[in-house]
Amino acid sequence: MKFVDEYRDGELGRKLAREIASLVDSGGTTRIMEVCGGHTHAIARHGLENLLPSEVEYLHGPGCPVCVIPMGRVDDAISLAERPEVVFTTFGDMLRVPGGKGTLLEAKARGADVRMVYSPLDALAIAQSEPDREVVFFAIGFETTAPATAVTLLRARAAGIANFSAFCNHVTIVPPLCAILDTPDTRIDAFIAPGHVSTVIGTEPYRFIPAEYGKQVVVTAFEPLDILEATAMVLRQRAEGRCEVENQYTRVVRPEGNPRAIAVIDETMELRETFEWRGLGSLAWSALRLRPDFAAWDAEERFELPRIEIADPKACQCGEVLVGAIKPWECKVFGTACTPERPLGTCMVSAEGACAAYSAYGRHAA
Amino acid sequence: MVTPETCLTCGDVAVEAVVVAVSGDTALVETGSSRERVGVELVAPVTPGDVLLCHAGIAIEKATE
Repeated sequence: MKFVDEYRDGELGRKLAREIASLVDSGGTTRIMEVCGGHTHAIARHGLENLLPSEVEYLHGPGCPVCVIPMGRVDDAISLAERPEVVFTTFGDMLRVPGGKGTLLEAKARGADVRMVYSPLDALAIAQSEPDREVVFFAIGFETTAPATAVTLLRARAAGIANFSAFCNHVTIVPPLCAILDTPDTRIDAFIAPGHVSTVIGTEPYRFIPAEYGKQVVVTAFEPLDILEATAMVLRQRAEGRCEVENQYTRVVRPEGNPRAIAVIDETMELRETFEWRGLGSLAWSALRLRPDFAAWDAEERFELPRIEIADPKACQCGEVLVGAIKPWECKVFGTACTPERPLGTCMVSAEGACAAYSAYGRHAA
Repeated sequence: MVTPETCLTCGDVAVEAVVVAVSGDTALVETGSSRERVGVELVAPVTPGDVLLCHAGIAIEKATE
């Protein structure tokens, strides 16, 4: 299959692993956090940790957009979905995320018109084909996904489609990185930064991490060889006494990102003063809402929402997993009270969640 | 059920796909396993043969070799 085989060559992988072994800091463990669910999943799926020397450790950060949505917002989504006039459209993984009132899948079983889509443009097409219904799209995701929502809103406005709206929960990558870096006694030495978020925002927004926190950053793609190469690049920087932002994903990511994607986000959305992140708490200026110009397509403006904040389940340690304080299998309910079939915390819900990835590939025995 | 594949719908997941045909702001792309229509206003102009990084029905960048 084109585009994949060349990034999964076993011999190249072993060669990179040997290079990594030659670069390790003999003075102790180098802990590298990835902040993208795609990276987490690839590390677990391909068993990359088994290729690494014991002196290199991956920590799994808050990169899965499903995992960071608080339960109260899920309940708001269910409230929207249960309105008789609404067709509630969502990406598949949000269907199983538990809020305080159950899941969207359970709401669908009770009769709510909940439909899975792969793109907000699919939701817009439903609105066009069913003009008597109110089609609401559950907009989640980092800067990778926000452009798709933005383009859809612009198309809705251009075409005068009045029965489409977005329930906006888009989040931004830099504030959670700051929150993690400001966590007392952080164990992180360096970051592997998300390739597709960086496709949109570029590499410049990460400059503060080496400059202010003294930690290396390498933007990377998602195939096993990409991640191993990025790991080697982190270690090479440390061996050479460098601390900077490097770009492993040069085939797609440009320093300035995609200015047109940034422009459509800026045209349709603005930062919220604060947003609740599961596991991280309230983070200032960390999420997006629709601009007043787009109030006609903003589900939060058009419909009454419960807006009740719900604390995470006490037994759930998603918050500690998300900041890299513990490994997924070190959570006291991992694989017992919390399983992929009956998730307690959101890290177990999405296939990209750290706990689900480790559970799926049986990589819990450190 | 959690599938063994990465989340196809919502995460920081995108796929590289080759443009087959273009019509206005929409392109037909070949992902290797299927053909899909994606919005291309953020990467225009595109021509058949271009490799696009696609996410949630939108091309977010052109790939270079």
